[in-house]
Amino acid sequence: MMLKRILPPQKWRFPVMILIAVFTGLFLYTFYISKAHSYLSDKPEACTNCHIMSPQYATWSHSSHREVAHCNDCHVPHNNVFNKYYFKAKDGLRHSTIFTLRKEPQVIFILDEGAEVVHNNCIRCHSNLLKDPKLAASVSNHDVHMTDRKCWECHREVPHGKVNSLSSVPNARVPLPESPVPNWLRKFINNK
Amino acid sequence: MSSILKITEKRPWLAWILFFATVVVVFLLGLLASSIVERRAEAAYVNVPRTKVNQFDPRNEVWGANYPREFQSYYGTADTTFRSKYNGNTMIDMLEEDPRLVVLWAGYGFSKDYNQGRGHYYAVTDMHKTLRTGAPKTPAEGPMPSTCMTCKSPDVPRLMNQKGVAAFYTGTWASLGSEVVNPIGCADCHDAETMNLAISRPALIEAFERLGKDITKASHQEMRSLVCAQCHVEYYFDKTVAEGANYLKFPWDNGFSAENMEEYYDNFEFSDWIHSMSKAPMLKAQHPGYEVYLTGIHAERGVSCADCHMPYKSEGGQKFTDHKMQSPLNNISSSCQVCHREEAATLMKNVYDRQDKIIENRDKLEEQLVRAHVEAQKAWELGATDAQMKDILTGIRHAQWRWDYAAASHGGSFHSPVEIGRVISTGITIVQETRIKLARLLASQGFNQEIPYPDISTKAKAQAFIGLDMKKLNEEKQDFLKNIVPQWMSTAKEREATYNNVFYNKE
Repeated sequence: MMLKRILPPQKWRFPVMILIAVFTGLFLYTFYISKAHSYLSDKPEACTNCHIMSPQYATWSHSSHREVAHCNDCHVPHNNVFNKYYFKAKDGLRHSTIFTLRKEPQVIFILDEGAEVVHNNCIRCHSNLLKDPKLAASVSNHDVHMTDRKCWECHREVPHGKVNSLSSVPNARVPLPESPVPNWLRKFINNK
Repeated sequence: MSSILKITEKRPWLAWILFFATVVVVFLLGLLASSIVERRAEAAYVNVPRTKVNQFDPRNEVWGANYPREFQSYYGTADTTFRSKYNGNTMIDMLEEDPRLVVLWAGYGFSKDYNQGRGHYYAVTDMHKTLRTGAPKTPAEGPMPSTCMTCKSPDVPRLMNQKGVAAFYTGTWASLGSEVVNPIGCADCHDAETMNLAISRPALIEAFERLGKDITKASHQEMRSLVCAQCHVEYYFDKTVAEGANYLKFPWDNGFSAENMEEYYDNFEFSDWIHSMSKAPMLKAQHPGYEVYLTGIHAERGVSCADCHMPYKSEGGQKFTDHKMQSPLNNISSSCQVCHREEAATLMKNVYDRQDKIIENRDKLEEQLVRAHVEAQKAWELGATDAQMKDILTGIRHAQWRWDYAAASHGGSFHSPVEIGRVISTGITIVQETRIKLARLLASQGFNQEIPYPDISTKAKAQAFIGLDMKKLNEEKQDFLKNIVPQWMSTAKEREATYNNVFYNKE
């Protein structure tokens, strides 16, 4: 059998077990400090695991959308649950790669693919508004513009404001990752 | 079972490849882990204030180290170059502008000296300079109570925390000369930990409690006005709360309007002073800015004080609140034009139109009040009795209160032109009724002619008319500024040198 072929010989068993355990431990540690589990949730705090998302968090938390929509409500597709997590994983891996390589730009812009997702989510929640004849009657060409551009080409400050560089919110209070050292250990260390 | 062993026995290089490949993978995984730790650690420096600030540290520059943009814009309140039609940040001698004020305030400190105020930066300096605070040589001399310091400085919360609120309100102004030295600043409106807006003065909290409202439930937008309402409101000193204390209180129990507060004061026959000519028990409106603003259209639409007086500002791609509190007329593009799409000149005209129209009738009321005081003085001279004068004096009291409510609510004629117009018109009605009563009384005393309007065309003439010795007052003040204030400042400097130790346990 294939599995048998790669299994180590009897006398190697012990050192190999230790080595694999070291390897697994290191992997779990990486998982833990990167808070990988948090990415399964819909909490906005997960997005500020990377501190470069602070301006986006801060501007959103000062916007009216704060009360009704979290990051994922706009930034991942909601047509079905598989697509949601597929897109999230794809986007997330790209983000984490860029963040790890320190390739993040000073001003972050959304990519076309992401923009499409956000646009569809605007429509998902605001569909009643879009069909509202009062709006069509009172805002000139709203009907036409609705189909030939993204919502925020006109509604430009929704919800993150106009300017959004990494340094644009120096004093914003955003949830930042807490120390990975668990409390019991901290207590133990401090008691000494 | 022993296949790998066999393979590697045949091909030892494969064992080496496996070994080194694992080394590389573990090494890279380790690098990734440490990079994650590193980037997590960065977060501790992003958006986190650099130095710890103590809530009771009165030094604005210490708070400012963490928030350089807000702090530097705060220093903009030192600017004295802008003058609008009626106000601005230049010091204007209002008694010179309008000498009638001297007569209206005869017997009260305001007749000595009253200026259009400068920015927050000068809060302490200008308090030293005004003739109203006298020229005390010793702490005991006063002449004003310590309560006058309440709104001048972030040293006040520090002292209240140290001594207790009632103890702070007890004693003289001069006794706090070396304690209250930092001008209105950070600690007056902010929480040191979160930088959230916070109420630091008990009078506002107590006034809310008496109205059955909980100020801690106020929204952020309401707080953007309420922090201003700690000071820019009508107030008086209650001597019954604690022994010897001039306890600061807002007369809001019946409501915020001129009539509500008048009723509040009348109910316990409160008066700020007795007019030296008419002997009327007068009320001095302080600056009911917040109360008047509440009746205006901007308040109705949820616009806060800060929205116009401290609008957002962008600098180097960063948006922050401009801490140069000032007339929005000096900053129309960031204040008015955020909502109103009109030319700056048009907006300016809209403000001036309202002010012009309000002041037109305010001036009429003012002249009537001067005449009423002069006529009442004449009635006393001719031997009027207290009973005969009672209604007349109440009339003068009420009419001038309304005039002052309008005049002292700086900006009131714009904040709420309709309400201010109404208050002034009720004032005119009352003073006219009163002057009719005065005319009847004078006629019954055998005096049936017009009493000439006094020559009060300049401040000096008006002050001479009410019998003030300005030369003496000015000389004493100069002496005080030259000899006493520097002593206060050097004592304060010595004390502040210990603050690093007091507040942060470091030398």
